Amino acid sequence: MQEFFQQNQMYVVLIVVLMIWAGILAYLWRIDRKVEKIENQMKKG
Amino acid sequence: MKFVKFGAVTLVTLVIVAGIAIPTSLQPTSLFQFPVIPGLEEKARNIFFHVPTAWTTVVAFLVSMYYGIQYLRKRDIEYDIRSVSSASLGFLFCFLATVTGSVWAKFNWGSFWNWDPRETSIFVLLLIYGAYFALRSSLEVEETRAKLSAVYSIIAGLTVPFFIFVLPRMMGGLHPGSKGDPQGSGPVVSFTMSGNMLFIFFMSLLGFNLLYVWMLNVRVRLAKIEYQQSSEQA
Amino acid sequence: MTMMSFSTSTYALVEKDIRSEVRTRYAFNALLMFVVTAVSTILFALRSDNPSTALLSGMYWVVVFFTAMSGLSRIFVSEEERGTVLVLQLIASPTVIYFGKLLFNSALTLVLTTAVTILYVLFFPGFVINSYEILFLTVLLGSLGFAASATIIAAIIAKAGARGTLYPVLSLPVLIPLLITVMNATARALAGEPLVNALGELQVLLGYLLVMVGGSYLLFDYVWKD
Repeated sequence: MQEFFQQNQMYVVLIVVLMIWAGILAYLWRIDRKVEKIENQMKKG
Repeated sequence: MKFVKFGAVTLVTLVIVAGIAIPTSLQPTSLFQFPVIPGLEEKARNIFFHVPTAWTTVVAFLVSMYYGIQYLRKRDIEYDIRSVSSASLGFLFCFLATVTGSVWAKFNWGSFWNWDPRETSIFVLLLIYGAYFALRSSLEVEETRAKLSAVYSIIAGLTVPFFIFVLPRMMGGLHPGSKGDPQGSGPVVSFTMSGNMLFIFFMSLLGFNLLYVWMLNVRVRLAKIEYQQSSEQA
Repeated sequence: MTMMSFSTSTYALVEKDIRSEVRTRYAFNALLMFVVTAVSTILFALRSDNPSTALLSGMYWVVVFFTAMSGLSRIFVSEEERGTVLVLQLIASPTVIYFGKLLFNSALTLVLTTAVTILYVLFFPGFVINSYEILFLTVLLGSLGFAASATIIAAIIAKAGARGTLYPVLSLPVLIPLLITVMNATARALAGEPLVNALGELQVLLGYLLVMVGGSYLLFDYVWKD
């Protein structure tokens, strides 16, 4: 596996970018859910 | 809204994978090969990420200006909330665009900054955002703050066309490397891209815009909640 | 409001500002002293070095920029400080106020740039004006453009706190198109190029002036009235 990554360095970049992207998405999803929760609370109260 | 979120996630993921994984070759034969662009080679892939970021910051600015104008006309604080939210996102994207552009410049043209017209315009946009927030933080009265920041964003917005149409003519000779000539709108570079590259590029533009819409939506909802809570406490 | 009364009111306003200016000479002195200070500092920093014409044309407008930043906000800030804002709002329409203040600031800026030009010609051997027409038009249009932007921004920050530092921060991004063009044009004037070469820049300056005055005129209402 290591040699694959040494030969095709571009895929290393891909993994890195995908990880960053996954992180951003996870964060975005989390705050989206949080806000939804508060909004529902406010509607009830 | 669901469409926006779904669209943003799939498109950007697609672009990331395609932008990075599709190999370049001197004689591209299939849909899954990019041509080698002399002077750029692999670095051309940056175009899928850097340009849409710059594009998005301009969109965010225009949206912020639009909501500012709406506030001036209707005096509903909700417009101001939307205006600031878009501005903060725009600032984020502008910062990212400047930094990614600078990094790309370093590896392509040799130095991090050159005062090339495009570089200068994105930097000025950064200054405009900075000034906008500086102005807002110095005003405490809500209506005055909303009013004056709307006016400022319009005044600053008036100078943006100068950067798009004027600078290229003034400093036309300065374009280093193969960034192509700046016909058409500012942030969109138009050098020769093959069909499949153009496709990925436009997918990226769309994806980033959708991402921006989603982020704006969340940001505005959060700001409105904060606003309601602070006015309940007051 | 008829054309006649509009210009009379505007001139009356300008006259009032000029009169109070002549009485105290506050802005005038401050600006002149600032220009002298700035130029002296540069001369000191350079020692006996002779900057190139490109550098000189840039530095010229840097001095103008900072001097303008130190002086041009006064027209509105002084009204706030003296508490005369309400009076002005009552006796004149926003348009009159705007154009009055604009004219006053334009005059001030022209005085300022004239002073800078004279000082530069005297003290920087490299600053040889080889093309008077270009320099004259550049300085004229550039000063008016400067005044146009500076006036509307001054109106905006007059209502804010921390005015001193906020003024340059807000003005710079708006002034950059002007600064770039004017620096290029000045470099041409120093190089002695024919007037036709500078037509592009001069058109930009005129365009900038019109856009800024037009935009300010439309927006001033919102800034001025509460």
